[in-house]
Amino acid sequence: MAASKSVLVFHTLLPEFEYFRPKTLQEALELLDKYKGDARILAGGTDLLVDMRMRIKQPKYVIDIKGIDELHTLKYEEGKGLTIGATVTLDELLNNKIVKEKYYVLWDAIRQLADTHLRMKATLVGNICNASPAADSAPALLVLKAKVNIASVNGTRTVEIKDFFKWVKKTILEPNEMVTSIFIPEPPEGAKGRYLKFVRSAEDLALVGIAALVANPKDPAKRIVRIALSSVAPTPVIVEEVEELFKQDKPLSELAEEAVKLVMSKVSPITDVRATKELREHMVEFGTRYLLKTLLEG
Amino acid sequence: MAEKLIPITLKVNGKEYKVEVKPNETLLFVLRNKLNIKSVKGTCYRGECGVCTVLLNGKPVKSCLVLAAEADGAEIITLEGLAPFGTLAPIQKAFIEHGAFQCGFCTPGFILTAHWLLTNKPDATEEEIKEVLSGLICRCTGYKQIIEAIKAAAKYYKQDKQKQ
Repeated sequence: MAASKSVLVFHTLLPEFEYFRPKTLQEALELLDKYKGDARILAGGTDLLVDMRMRIKQPKYVIDIKGIDELHTLKYEEGKGLTIGATVTLDELLNNKIVKEKYYVLWDAIRQLADTHLRMKATLVGNICNASPAADSAPALLVLKAKVNIASVNGTRTVEIKDFFKWVKKTILEPNEMVTSIFIPEPPEGAKGRYLKFVRSAEDLALVGIAALVANPKDPAKRIVRIALSSVAPTPVIVEEVEELFKQDKPLSELAEEAVKLVMSKVSPITDVRATKELREHMVEFGTRYLLKTLLEG
Repeated sequence: MAEKLIPITLKVNGKEYKVEVKPNETLLFVLRNKLNIKSVKGTCYRGECGVCTVLLNGKPVKSCLVLAAEADGAEIITLEGLAPFGTLAPIQKAFIEHGAFQCGFCTPGFILTAHWLLTNKPDATEEEIKEVLSGLICRCTGYKQIIEAIKAAAKYYKQDKQKQ
């Protein structure tokens, strides 16, 4: 069904499909259960419509979920966390005070994701469901230990974001399942974060993207350091060993260098049209060191 | 597959249109080919160039990535909507005065985006202007004149805001 990517065919029109705009989640889930792999969920459409134009995806049925009110939740509960519904746009998150203040690493990633125009439509849930290895929001969600809420006609389940991605553009979602929201727990007290994105031009995909989260750097017992990356493996990855490494009572500069080596050993970037493997490895090394230095000292 | 036609209502530049659209027709396609609004153009058809920018419910979007059916009930402003009686808006005048275009192909997208930015943030910094323009491609001007035109037009939007 996927068109051969080696042949460049320029289509200005989308392939034919049937369009549904359900008003309730139940209705959407029933449609998804009926049509399964022949159906696609449409939220922002900034990835789906491009893939359809390129004939990479040719769904027979498109289920537009923007008419479902309950999927447009954006709710913060103090001490618990933030729930972001499937149709909440990146622009809405960028303009949200809580996201900027409490979840800065995510805000920083969204700020650098695509461009102003696309962020008006694109959604956070769409960004992870598209499952690009270069998904900018994924490293931030990984260091924040986000959870993905999934629904089907058979019920609901919740998975850790680190278990959500399976391969390039593949997630653990069954054909009759959809993501209804992302939940991000309250970040560690005093946590600071940043997303460093290497690009060729403003609207480019990440050549390498690195998210870092640091809390209580001076106190080994309470110290939390997390690093996650995009565009360095078939899926976005978190280097979980970094958090354990930083529990040691050693000078921070020493730990930071060990962390850089550890991160380097856990990534496997490839050479493609946008950058070589070697350049990406250099970016991982430089970027990880730079982020750790900036956040540990601050 | 026989495609069902979907009846939709669009309010474009203040005027209401009732049209029937196919599921796979984009907003770009319908504006150009069914409503005959030709300032909205298509080039890359994948959300990269911004030539198809319109204001959808007040926000700049790339209409090549919006299904017409999705836009049912929406309010849309195209370049034509900025000068409904033939009198140019300040941002349009500023583009002329600063030579902010050569071939003019990309200009509607730039003007609509600048209009949206200045309406919401008349004191936008040069960095903010550049950030907002980053999703648009111009192959003639090198952007410098465009940024100058937007900075020059900002004063009219500030005055408008003070009047409110």
